[in-house]
Amino acid sequence: MTSIPISDVSKGAKLIFDNHPWLVVEVNFVKPGKGNAFYKTRVKNLVTGNVLEKTIRGGEKVDTADVSDADMTYLYSDANGYVFMNQTDFEQMTVPVKVVGDDKDFLLENMECQVTLWNGEPIQVRLPNTVTMEIEYTEPAVKGDTQSRVMKPAKLKGTGSTVPVPIFCAIGDRIMINTETREFKGRTDK
Amino acid sequence: MPDRAPWRPAATLETLRTRSAIADRVRRFFTERGVLEVDTPVLQAGANLDHGVQPMRCADRFLPTSPEHALKRLVAAYGQDVWTLAPAFRSGERGRRHQPEFRMLEWYRLGWDDALLADETVAILRLITGLPGGIERLSWHQAWERVGLDPAAVQAADGFSREERLDLLLTERIEPGLGRGAWTVLCDYPATGAAQARVRRDAAGRAVAARFEIYRDGIELANGYHECVDAGELLARHQAELPGHPGCGLDAAFHAMMAEGFPDCAGVAVGFDRAVMLALGLDDVAATMPFPH
Repeated sequence: MTSIPISDVSKGAKLIFDNHPWLVVEVNFVKPGKGNAFYKTRVKNLVTGNVLEKTIRGGEKVDTADVSDADMTYLYSDANGYVFMNQTDFEQMTVPVKVVGDDKDFLLENMECQVTLWNGEPIQVRLPNTVTMEIEYTEPAVKGDTQSRVMKPAKLKGTGSTVPVPIFCAIGDRIMINTETREFKGRTDK
Repeated sequence: MPDRAPWRPAATLETLRTRSAIADRVRRFFTERGVLEVDTPVLQAGANLDHGVQPMRCADRFLPTSPEHALKRLVAAYGQDVWTLAPAFRSGERGRRHQPEFRMLEWYRLGWDDALLADETVAILRLITGLPGGIERLSWHQAWERVGLDPAAVQAADGFSREERLDLLLTERIEPGLGRGAWTVLCDYPATGAAQARVRRDAAGRAVAARFEIYRDGIELANGYHECVDAGELLARHQAELPGHPGCGLDAAFHAMMAEGFPDCAGVAVGFDRAVMLALGLDDVAATMPFPH
């Protein structure tokens, strides 16, 4: 852990407050003409995603967080969590269930993800923005109606999770899903 | 700011042309009014000692946080109104409105008071920025009242001292609303914030500083005083600032001048780069400079 003057902190820096790693989203220097200097920052908790505003006195030092991103391939899950392989050194790592969270719904074997490490420990997994998955089961398709915004649930192959899809979708269709919004984006032949 | 190769200037050629034209206008303004342009040193033997402003050191010298001491010595020596557009340096100040190195436009008017000088400062700010609008005079206390805050009720909180909380509230709640469509002259500061200004009584009998700051679009552009001419008082104020300015010493030549007698005058410093920023409608003071830090 290294301490640096707050004046050296810019947007994108990763810092430790309250034993948590934070990403600096915004930093502004404020100071009345003949008054005290402050840095007003917006920081995002890299574990919980919480965003808060933090005001730091000019001249104070802050601790930098040893945070890095690694490209990893998801292999399989076991009793301890989700096992990933680092694409650089081929080392395997188990990511705890709570770190993966709801993203487990779209996590397929051999998927390439970005894993954020803090002091070497995984704290966040980022899936590709869009994933392609196969519909394992859904109610029979309503043919011809490709304009409808009426949705029905569909169970996904591989994860068993359920997402809303338009009523024209059928079993065996391959569909694209936005992993951030969890929304159906379209059918695909791939 | 757009990405650029590190060696390239931050300011565009168009910005530099405007900046140069503005400096020409300022020069003509002062020449017409009989104020003499002077050069002030970039290395000074003693430090400026302003609250919350940290000078930079250079070998056995200090870089000026404003050309104030040199200009005052010239005023005292020659009884002459003087102005300069000089580099100023402040340690640790960097943000959208701050740079550790910037240009200060500073001048002194013999026999004037703060109100008269505030009017002239607005005149020059209009000349620099081309922005219209009348003058709104607002006392420090009125500025707090206007946003529904009572400075006397502010207490230490969240790990910040009372003084720090006052500064934070000033920057968060008061400054953003100042100078909207007008030139706000914030005046009658509390005596504790007198800096280099003399102290007088306001209509309510409160001790207030003859100090003003001018705001436009929420941005502080100028700080002026009806100068304190009491050598003992000013020496005491500077000595009181020494603990907050580690490694800094008193400016002996300046205090020797004060002891011999400093004439009744008013002085003001304008952040030239900020004024240019407003003139160009830019949002970052660095964009007005060829090579910001």
